[in-house]
Amino acid sequence: MKITRREFAIGTAASAAASAFSFPCPAVAQTEPIRIGWLAALTGASSAPAIGFDRGVRYAAETINAAGGVKGRKIEVITRDTQGDPTKAVNATQEMISQLKVHAVWGPTNSGESLAITPIMARAKMPNIHPCVIDSLIDPEKFPNAFRTSPSNTQWNDAVRTYCIKVLKVKKVAVIADTTGYGVAAAKYSTEALKKDGADVVYVANIDATQPDMTPDMLRAKNAGAEAIVVWSTSTGMDARMFNTRATMGWDVPFVGHPSMSSGDIKGLLEKPANWEKVYAVGYRSCSYDANGKLPPRNEEFVAQLKGKVELSDTLLWWVAGGVDAINLIAKAVENGSTSPDDIIKYWNGVKKFPGYFGDYSWSPTEHNGYPGDDVVMSDASSAKNGAFKLAPGYS
Amino acid sequence: MLASIIASGLAVGAVYALIGVTYNTMFSASRVMSFTAGQLGMLGGVFGSLFVLRLGMPLVVGLVLMLVCCAIVGLITEFVAVRPVLKSLDQHLYVLSTLALALMIQQVVAVEWSTEPQAFPRVFGIGGGGILDEKFWLPVLTCAAAICALELLYRRTLTGLAFLAIAEDNFAARALGLPERNLRMASYALAGMIGGLAGFSGGQLLLAFVANGPLLNFYGFVPVALGGLGNNRGAIVGGFALGLFQQAANFLVGGIFASVAVFILFIVVLLAAPRGLFGGHLARRV
Repeated sequence: MKITRREFAIGTAASAAASAFSFPCPAVAQTEPIRIGWLAALTGASSAPAIGFDRGVRYAAETINAAGGVKGRKIEVITRDTQGDPTKAVNATQEMISQLKVHAVWGPTNSGESLAITPIMARAKMPNIHPCVIDSLIDPEKFPNAFRTSPSNTQWNDAVRTYCIKVLKVKKVAVIADTTGYGVAAAKYSTEALKKDGADVVYVANIDATQPDMTPDMLRAKNAGAEAIVVWSTSTGMDARMFNTRATMGWDVPFVGHPSMSSGDIKGLLEKPANWEKVYAVGYRSCSYDANGKLPPRNEEFVAQLKGKVELSDTLLWWVAGGVDAINLIAKAVENGSTSPDDIIKYWNGVKKFPGYFGDYSWSPTEHNGYPGDDVVMSDASSAKNGAFKLAPGYS
Repeated sequence: MLASIIASGLAVGAVYALIGVTYNTMFSASRVMSFTAGQLGMLGGVFGSLFVLRLGMPLVVGLVLMLVCCAIVGLITEFVAVRPVLKSLDQHLYVLSTLALALMIQQVVAVEWSTEPQAFPRVFGIGGGGILDEKFWLPVLTCAAAICALELLYRRTLTGLAFLAIAEDNFAARALGLPERNLRMASYALAGMIGGLAGFSGGQLLLAFVANGPLLNFYGFVPVALGGLGNNRGAIVGGFALGLFQQAANFLVGGIFASVAVFILFIVVLLAAPRGLFGGHLARRV
């Protein structure tokens, strides 16, 4: 058979193209990094949680990569600072989906941003885990790709209500929240749930968080006979003013509620350190010290591992632990399948008591709230050490 | 309860009154309502906390540095947001330019300082948190001192009389050879210091908090509108009245309804006296 120069040239080019584009593909797929998008509000309002989560994310990625990666593939964390702005979160999400082609997304870290990006992620079938508390963010029918690693608002509320009624054994409760959308919704839900469980809600108020004097509302709560005050606000200024006012009034009513009441920012705003006593904020059993001053064994070991590598004194342990868990959950999904969205989601849907540092997560195809409700407890708000707290009185 | 209403009402009223005077001082020199007035109040608290608590400076040094910094912010306001729009005052472009600068100040403070309220230092350490605590009477004392100093400046000094001259008629003042631009800049620096003093004196009550900017912008504007634009005495009376009314409403109706009560009062007064309670009648040029 005679081969012309033209046929030879075409044949050679075809062979070269085949070798260039066809054969190496499986090799590239097996060695390319696992790209994890990390939507973090690292600056601007409400940046404290993301800064804590970020330390855990980096620690986990470095640890996995130092051990050789996942099936020989390195973890590559691609971070975008959303500044707590839903518009920036939407832009970053679209960039991650269409340009960066990440394999999974962790975050965002606040509910306002998550409300904006969850439908976008769902349309793109992007595997997404987040720690945002608003209940409606999790719906396996509408958002089969979205999984929660933190408690929901309902779980926080359950813990606060149970503590008031069953541990403090109070009958008359006042509910005070700020005037943000979150505060108004939380106060309404909390009041209804307390009443349903038999508590007498004697006073309900939404206060502007910048109000300089809390005496009027505290006085009304006292006159109404409140035996405990349930607080739903992210404002540390409002929290501290209420604690100071309680002391000035000579009233020893306990405060029970939002985790912001245990924030380190409060310390400098108190007129006396004693004003922070009898304040019980939402916390987590995995990150709480028992009566002997010990964390659960897994986290004792975890804190020892972090020593000298991750700063814990100015953040919360559960934020760092949550960041580590998020990366580990994605890595484990790839290890048990592949980086395809279907494989990752399939793995997460079958997770049962995944042993994380923040909690043991369990998901199913019909339940994407993964945090165990019994592990949501109340903490002694003023007892922070290494980002963890003592359990509030009444827990064993 | 009455003592509490009076103590905290007068205290926040004094802060509102000083912010009202800040608005007026800038307005008199330029005919511009600068929406950076509330931000200057916020900066007074933030700079005070920064210099004294965070950097550990003596209180007097911190106070002086705070005044200098706020005066500089006042000058920047004049240069960046006011001077470029003076030629087209009738188009009210200053609303945009001063609001934009106010937003920029707010964002920079949020990123560089904190979005959470920070502690403010005790000044004299008098009182234990009760109604005689310094956090309640210090703003009132500062407001009284500032009014006396301004009266002395405006009535007894040549510079003060020059301020009044450009406030009255800046064309005539220029024709007389007064340095209108320099006097305007000095007015903005002075306004910066008054705003800073408002935030510093009320720092123990309002804390060093970025959210105080918009709050003071609004509640500082109410006494200006109630008292009549450019009228300092009106702003002082309006500020104290607002503080007392707001605190009484907090006690009587509480929470969100107290803010509604303030809005209702504001609208009713403006309906009854559109130029404010102390505003004079406008002479029509013929």
